[in-house]
Amino acid sequence: MNPIITAFTNGIKKSGLELSKVVVVSDIPFEPEVIKEIGVDFFHVTRGRAIAFGTGLKLGNPDLKIVAFIGDLMTLGGNHLVHSGRRNMEMLVICVNNFVYKEIAGTLAPSVSPGFSAFSTFERPFNAPHLANSCGAIYTARWTAMHTNELANSIANALDKRGFSVIEVLAPGPNFYKDINQVNYELLDFYYKNSVTKNNVDTRNVEITSEEKIVTGEFTDKEKSPFIDTYNAQLGKILGDKFIPLGGQSGRD
Amino acid sequence: MAEIRFAGYGGQGIIRSGIIVGKGASIYDNKFSTMNQAFGPEARGGACSSQVLLSDTKVLYPYVTVSDVLVAMSQEGYDMFEPELNDKGILLIDEDLVKTKPTRGKIRSFSIPSTRLAEELGNRVFANVVMLGFFTAVSKLVSKEGMEKAVADSVPERFIEHNLKAFQKGFDYYK
Amino acid sequence: MKANPRDVNSGTYYMDGDVAAGYGALAAGCRFIGGYPITPSTEAAETFARIAPKAGAVFIQMEDELGSIASIMGASWSGVKTMTITSGPGYSLMMEAIGLGAMIEAPFVILNIQRGGPSTGVPTKTGQADMMQARWGSHGDYEVIAIAPDSPQELFDYTIKAFNLAEKYRCPVMIMSDECVGHMSEKVVIPPAEEIEIEPRRFYNGPKEKYLPFKPDKDLVPKMVKAGDGYNLYITGLIHDERGYPIKNQIEKGKSQKLPTRRLVDKIRLNADKIIELAEEGMDDAEVVVVSYGISYRVAIRGIEIARGKGIKVGHLRLITVWPFPDKKINELASKVKAFVVPEINYGQVVFEVERCSHGQANVVLVPHGGAGVHDPDDIAEAIEYAAKEKKKIRKVIEWKTRLEKFVFEGGYKLNK
Repeated sequence: MNPIITAFTNGIKKSGLELSKVVVVSDIPFEPEVIKEIGVDFFHVTRGRAIAFGTGLKLGNPDLKIVAFIGDLMTLGGNHLVHSGRRNMEMLVICVNNFVYKEIAGTLAPSVSPGFSAFSTFERPFNAPHLANSCGAIYTARWTAMHTNELANSIANALDKRGFSVIEVLAPGPNFYKDINQVNYELLDFYYKNSVTKNNVDTRNVEITSEEKIVTGEFTDKEKSPFIDTYNAQLGKILGDKFIPLGGQSGRD
Repeated sequence: MAEIRFAGYGGQGIIRSGIIVGKGASIYDNKFSTMNQAFGPEARGGACSSQVLLSDTKVLYPYVTVSDVLVAMSQEGYDMFEPELNDKGILLIDEDLVKTKPTRGKIRSFSIPSTRLAEELGNRVFANVVMLGFFTAVSKLVSKEGMEKAVADSVPERFIEHNLKAFQKGFDYYK
Repeated sequence: MKANPRDVNSGTYYMDGDVAAGYGALAAGCRFIGGYPITPSTEAAETFARIAPKAGAVFIQMEDELGSIASIMGASWSGVKTMTITSGPGYSLMMEAIGLGAMIEAPFVILNIQRGGPSTGVPTKTGQADMMQARWGSHGDYEVIAIAPDSPQELFDYTIKAFNLAEKYRCPVMIMSDECVGHMSEKVVIPPAEEIEIEPRRFYNGPKEKYLPFKPDKDLVPKMVKAGDGYNLYITGLIHDERGYPIKNQIEKGKSQKLPTRRLVDKIRLNADKIIELAEEGMDDAEVVVVSYGISYRVAIRGIEIARGKGIKVGHLRLITVWPFPDKKINELASKVKAFVVPEINYGQVVFEVERCSHGQANVVLVPHGGAGVHDPDDIAEAIEYAAKEKKKIRKVIEWKTRLEKFVFEGGYKLNK
């Protein structure tokens, strides 16, 4: 079992959630054996669209706990990230950042800093926690895949919260989800050793650069009314008794 | 079968007029009617028009080709749609807002100071309803009763009385 | 199953087609619409957003059409009936995920109020040029169902039918209406709930451990469960087996040939007779048959009346469902009649399907229209007249030169040599 999945499983256990109510949506195909082992429902969708698909699942059945594992978060999924943050859609996004597109000959992702590669990294990278925080996420964190305990705690904390949460996990790349044998230990270790944990720092200061150590930790933790509560409050105000709120006795026929 | 065109500018209730006539005919008179409105820039101020097709059987072709009745509440609307009017058609204008050319063919022309009459009733927003009363009396295409029900059904409850009064005023103007 | 009275706003109304579709969706039991506003479809979404909260349903304005279509698939698998509403450019964006919808067999409905295209085109005027996009828009092999209503009343009725078909066959169902019908106001009767038949979801209710999400019933459609009910679902857009597990590797290694796409197309093709709804009139002694759909059907009736006035025997076949295409019916007619006349608001889409199914037996005449309006019935009448007179077998689609084409393009463009 690979470290992120282990952390995820432990995180769910710590949060005390009922496994069957957790639905994982991902644009990365997990191995079916892994899903069976965790015991959650799993949807593998077109790349970048996991948040949008998860939004539908959540509003179709507000009792579900949605976790979106995303590779293409800041590219194809960018607009979904921005607006789900704004709405505070109740969902945990785990952004698995390996800096490359694994099957496309190592094409680099928009989170790579200048200096990592001589040819293609002259553009400014995205700083994922800061992006998420700016969009309105109520919880942001970053860990490397080696921070299994910290990551598990972080996932448990995020699952406890009602709102849009984003955890960035730095992972060492190709075929990470398949099995442990394919994990690039050297790189994994490199990330871990080159990281420093600073909780509650301003997300503006957690950009990953080639010169400085990678900052890990829990950065954002605030409370804000989640989408469904805001929706129920607003429409309840307008429609009064005629309104059937979402969740609880909502119209699941 | 009758093809009706309402023309004016945004804010005069041109589209609502089309809806009221269509509703009066198809819901209260049990005829068939199709109403189409101009969308796009014209629906956001400026020139505005709506079209209603009335028939005893299902309306097939959905647009006005040659109108039997033209209700013009602006000069621009008149200029634009007068050529479309049937030689034997009926022309209704707000006389304070539209200057007509000499009539052609056997077109019957009727004028009413609908906006002025509405102002006398307290608000110029009733101009289109005054015009609808006049239209009902002149054209006899939709029953007065049907039109009154459609008017009442198309405005907020607290304004029903005002609107029906305006309608009656337009209806009575035709002697 | 009858509709829930809470969802049905029974009564007699004077409303436009878009609004009627919004009412239809709720009456059909739709519980979730994710959409993004676009002319000329917006009124449908507005209507649903206004009436849905009183029935425990929800409308969300998503960030874009890519998100809209993804969200309704998610909602579909959460156990509710779903739809999205769009037009032209938005419809193009949705193509990405329609293949996913077909693959994971999520029942959902797309309402496309077609407008003039391509690109931004003519946002406020009508068109019928998305018909082939509806059929082939997403990559890969799949089948869809598409319905073309001709009036606001039908936008109410057929929206319900679209939901019923989506639930029955678990495939994307498109309501291919257009601006003219969407924006025209007519009388619409919303019947009492007990008169509205709705198709319930095909829920599985056997033992949990035996559930296979993609194991088909006799009609080739599998049963569904809800996410979050403890079935340990694995649902993917990758090619998969009956458990839903990817078989990409087996296929790549040549260990399996059993592509699920076979069933995805067969579940529609083999059930086509049950899905297809047609209307025909004046067929008995027809020499020419007009094949039409949507708003062009209404306009064609007038053209037919003119042609009949001249003594021409002409029948009218209306495609209420355009996809799957009524191959059998067209082929059968082709052996009996001289010609087909197909008026559509594009430069030839469904007409090529008619030609394909005619197999060279009858002439096929296209009455084209570039969009932003409907046909002149006289053009259709003249095309019928020509088709009745033409004695030669012309082995290609004959494009009728309409007045508009002659006027605007002076008989058509020519290449300079």
